[in-house]
Amino acid sequence: MAAPPSPLHALSRLLLLSLLLLASVAAAATAAAEEEEEFTEELLLRPLPDIKALAHFQFRSSAPPSSAAGRHHHVFPKAIAQLVQQFHISELELSFTQGRWNYEQWGGSDPMSTNYAKPPGVELWAAFDLPLSEIDATWKNLTHTLSGLFCASINFLESSTAFSAPRWGFKLNEGNLRYGALPREAVCTENLTPWLKLLPCRDKAGIASLLYRPSIYKGYYHSQKLKLTSSQSFGIIIDQTLTVVLQPDTFRAKHLHSTDGQLQPSWSIKDLFNRKLSGKCLVSKSSRVFLEIEKDIVDKIDKSGTEASWTNELFVLSTAPDRVLKKLNSMDAQSSSLYEYDVSNYNDDKPLDVSITWKLPLIWSCTPAPYHVNRFLMGSGNERGSIALSFRSTNLHKQLFGSSNDCSIKAVVFQVVPWYVKVYYHSLQIFIDGNSKAISEVVDKIHVTPSEDKLLPGTLEMLLRLPCSMESATLSLDFDKGFLHIDEYPPDANQGFDIPSALVTFPEFNSSRSYPETDTLFVSPLLQTFKEDGVVKSYTEVLLVPLTTPDFSMPYNVITFTCTVLALYFGSLLNALRRRIGEEERELKKTATKRGLIPLLIAKLRGKKVDPPPPGSSPASLMSIKLLLKVVFVAVVAATFHYLSNS
Amino acid sequence: MASGRGGIPGPSRPSRVLLLALPPLLMLLAFSASSSAAAAAASPSAMHNNNWAVLVCTSRFWFNYRHMANTLSLYRTVKRLGIPDERIILMLADDMACNPRNNYPAQVFNNENHQLNLYGDNVEVDYRGYEVTVENFLRVLTGRHESAVPRSKRLLSDEGSHILLYMTGHGGDEFLKFQDSEELQSHDLADAVKQMKEKHRFKELLIMVDTCQAATLFSQLQSPGVLAIGSSMKGENSYSHHLDSDIGVSVVDRFTFYTLAFFEKLNMYSNASLNSLFNSYNPSMLLSTAYYRMDLYERPLNEVPVTNFFGSVMKTIHIDSAYSGFLAAHDVETILSTGDNLLNHAMLQNKSSQRRSNIEEMKETQLRSHGWTDVLLEQLDVKNSDTIVMYGLATMGILLAISTWLSM
Repeated sequence: MAAPPSPLHALSRLLLLSLLLLASVAAAATAAAEEEEEFTEELLLRPLPDIKALAHFQFRSSAPPSSAAGRHHHVFPKAIAQLVQQFHISELELSFTQGRWNYEQWGGSDPMSTNYAKPPGVELWAAFDLPLSEIDATWKNLTHTLSGLFCASINFLESSTAFSAPRWGFKLNEGNLRYGALPREAVCTENLTPWLKLLPCRDKAGIASLLYRPSIYKGYYHSQKLKLTSSQSFGIIIDQTLTVVLQPDTFRAKHLHSTDGQLQPSWSIKDLFNRKLSGKCLVSKSSRVFLEIEKDIVDKIDKSGTEASWTNELFVLSTAPDRVLKKLNSMDAQSSSLYEYDVSNYNDDKPLDVSITWKLPLIWSCTPAPYHVNRFLMGSGNERGSIALSFRSTNLHKQLFGSSNDCSIKAVVFQVVPWYVKVYYHSLQIFIDGNSKAISEVVDKIHVTPSEDKLLPGTLEMLLRLPCSMESATLSLDFDKGFLHIDEYPPDANQGFDIPSALVTFPEFNSSRSYPETDTLFVSPLLQTFKEDGVVKSYTEVLLVPLTTPDFSMPYNVITFTCTVLALYFGSLLNALRRRIGEEERELKKTATKRGLIPLLIAKLRGKKVDPPPPGSSPASLMSIKLLLKVVFVAVVAATFHYLSNS
Repeated sequence: MASGRGGIPGPSRPSRVLLLALPPLLMLLAFSASSSAAAAAASPSAMHNNNWAVLVCTSRFWFNYRHMANTLSLYRTVKRLGIPDERIILMLADDMACNPRNNYPAQVFNNENHQLNLYGDNVEVDYRGYEVTVENFLRVLTGRHESAVPRSKRLLSDEGSHILLYMTGHGGDEFLKFQDSEELQSHDLADAVKQMKEKHRFKELLIMVDTCQAATLFSQLQSPGVLAIGSSMKGENSYSHHLDSDIGVSVVDRFTFYTLAFFEKLNMYSNASLNSLFNSYNPSMLLSTAYYRMDLYERPLNEVPVTNFFGSVMKTIHIDSAYSGFLAAHDVETILSTGDNLLNHAMLQNKSSQRRSNIEEMKETQLRSHGWTDVLLEQLDVKNSDTIVMYGLATMGILLAISTWLSM
């Protein structure tokens, strides 16, 4: 019904509209340039010397400082933003680990082992941006919140017996750091699910879609980590990493020489995860897969004279990589090659399934840590024992610094011991190559927080200076085992109690690896972590201490025994007090004339005449007759049964 | 659930109720006006408006795999029938899925055929391992938590909630063992339920227990609106259904197996009644007698769809006027309740009379044997006792002789 708008009118309206549009687009563009939430996903694959393969997933989400963006988030998980806001966290690291990193086989001084090798169970540390007096209370609330968020019993870290405040042994700080570990915490799907829910694509698309639960949890090592850093200047960054060591599915994987199982199997992504990678998560800024070849192999290829390209004398990759990265300043020490694939080039029709096929049988090794560190228990019985920490030199320093024998290597030991293992720190003994040494010769600095019963765990931070020429060193500490209250025992106390892993760091050794940047605008978070100044660390084993467990049947036994003794005592006492001997004798005389049924029977059988029983005794005889009848009845029944069962 | 799983410890209770309701601000406003009225009008008038489930597996150790499989099967069922994860409190006393003894990592099966992985990609366990204690269980029921405990670990039900409480483990006469170290007694359970009722934490509560002598756990319950199903009567054991030789242990209990068999046929829209669930239990298949306690429950069971507890299906109310809170339509339910009461009663009586006649029969046989001895005793009184004794001995001898002769 309305009249068509005049052309002039329409034109002006269009102009206005386009202007508006332009303005809004410009505004959006400037906003985007200023601060933008980013998400990147990366996967690193690496063959390991012991026919296994390492897969490392890294997802990074970052949010600009919250004051600018308000409370609204685009790809950044809101739960984490709230967490940071509420608890004023400046740094936090939470790891769930199953299995133990094999430092000898899988490497001890590369970025992977120093950053992503974690102690079994749950490890949590957090640094707070708060006055020191409020930190303990905040930590308690944080553990509860994390336990709700990640479906784990992290709330057991709330009690003051479970966490400690290391000053320099773990990470240098001003007393605002708290550290706690739960070595026995189970790690399973229910922990991974909430972790995946923090990703914008969850496990529905992108690299995370490779996470097929049964194949990941079948692995030898599994560590799921959340690292959070927050500051006023750059906002919040969370790195979610998942490091797994898997055995490639050998049914499908083709061996080079099928007769020799020890040789490297050839594998592909499909063999590892039972899935193929079909495209990236659409909101991710970058999505890449790296395949890392250890320095040892690269050296071998170099020796053979060819370039370390994706197809060479030793191995062939199924797909041509988009880029090949070699370590920047490849001295002789450590350099590895990275083959990079950009997942955005692949889709459902053309899924990415990188495979590595070995051409020659190959044996190589990873760079070890300067010392292999082991920890074990000594002593027997339920009263006392000792903890020993042993260092075995791998002679890495000789490769790095030349073979001068006067030097020394620093090692920092950080260990938390629960209060019921009462360590006597004065009993510290140090043996170097089997010879006892004075403590002052080796220990440069020591900081001990002794344990308090049911209040504080014992913390030991120690800086050692080990001579270069040393082959092995052993430290030992004696301890007494404490007693727990009966309520404090877990339901399976007989299994023993865990002492969390100790951490040994070698501050003079650095694990960083830097690769050239081809893309100046975008830095890969994975390579960035590799480049970061990483001090070589290694975690020791968890110790299992058997404590005196209460025998819950003991109180019962005690009660029954005492009752028996009491009954016997009082019974006989009462008997002695109450008994009247004269009376009894009279009674006996009276009853002597009475005859029971059995003497009567015997007499009958002997053919003697029996006196009729006195009238008073008839009920008694009737009773015995009843008894006899019952016997007869039973006998008849038995006989019939016997007969029937036999016939 | 505006803030989602495990956000920040919740604010005080009334405002939590508000948060729980609906995100839009307008609705919030409308509700806050009506909620005070709702509180004043007390619980019986509240309408069923949400569903919660508390699923508890109380057994630790690998050989109790089946208890975890039971609980996870129920978890899967209630999720399938519409209760969201944030309204399910799942307590598992041990980790079976990633147990080193499990041949199938990250998988839990409740059947030999391994068709269904109960531990799929979306399991959220709220209390696990050492956290599954009687204390925590009672805290969940009564809602008396420390302030730091996150929302995902709380039972945030209200006077309009239907709660399903499922427990499985090892039990006995009036107790249920937790992790082989603690016990939940029937008194504790009854007290907790009473407290819940007082705090308006539920409208109706269905307690389902799969343990030995499960019926005894309900003996102390007194609160109205509680319905209880147990897998076995006093003195009876509940048995496992079958053994999986690949896993090496029994994977499911009989009672739960047949419960699941009933639910597998249903979906969110079916209106099978609780009565049909109760009738589906066949004592010869369970090897125990399922026990139902319904004297505290007002509604007739054949009127109550199972999805009232095992799912999250609400009654849709058509109203002409603008939205005005949850107060309405409860009178419809009361009308329904009078309908088939008679039938239900008759059935109950029938069952009880049958049981009584059984007991009487047993008594009679006992009496008869007594009668025989009475006759004998009379004989003994009247005649010469000695001769009877002699006869008795003689017959015994003869009988023995005959039997030995026959057996030769």
